[in-house]
Amino acid sequence: MSAKERETANVGAGLWKGTGMWAWMLFRISGLILVFYLFVHVWVISQGRLNGAGTMNSFFKFFDKPFLVFLDLMLVSAVLYHALNGVRIVLMDLGIGIKQHKLVFWVCMVIAALALSLFAVKASSYIL
Amino acid sequence: MAMRTEVLDRSRGGMWPWLGQRVTAVLVLVTIMIHLILTHYIAIGHLSYSNIGERLAGGAVVVNDIVLLLAVTFHGLNGLRMVVLDWGLAGSGGRRVFDVVLWVVGIAAVVYGIWALWVWVS
Repeated sequence: MSAKERETANVGAGLWKGTGMWAWMLFRISGLILVFYLFVHVWVISQGRLNGAGTMNSFFKFFDKPFLVFLDLMLVSAVLYHALNGVRIVLMDLGIGIKQHKLVFWVCMVIAALALSLFAVKASSYIL
Repeated sequence: MAMRTEVLDRSRGGMWPWLGQRVTAVLVLVTIMIHLILTHYIAIGHLSYSNIGERLAGGAVVVNDIVLLLAVTFHGLNGLRMVVLDWGLAGSGGRRVFDVVLWVVGIAAVVYGIWALWVWVS
């Protein structure tokens, strides 16, 4: 495959410079953060069975700080970004909206932002 | 078509991991939204050992969490594999070892996660 074909073959890699590069990078970074969180999360939740209700509740008490609730909201934003950018990628793979791919991306981002604002309003009373 | 051969090329991971990543993406999308709304929205500020027990007592939430655990573990580790293949860190020999390690880690995480959840189920 020629360099030009390779460059344009992958929607995320070269066809759409600038915004597309950032979308792809953020997708990877959020994905790596979420994999790391997954294992930490399973370990924290296992405290209930491993060390009992008391230990688990002391974990939750430790998490009940404004900064950690804020981090929790950042986690939700990583999930929402990764999810909605992922929806775009699946749509492109299915051949849906390829010609309007920039519009599809921004519609996905608006949906992610709206969903995040719902979580942010709810979390704000624990952060502020 | 150029895009198909590029995406499904073995150097980019192969067809089955690609398909698995899409199928688990849809499963995770549905189950994680239920999970997030229940824990980060409805139960925010009330999370505790007994709060989790009450939520899981319904049974449907247990099914949701187990489907999420299975799908997200595959999706996360397969995604990590894609990143590592892009870095070119896994040559043909090391790649098979890496795949085995990911399967072992993934199966262990799922078994451990279900074991951990079961204290609220039984």
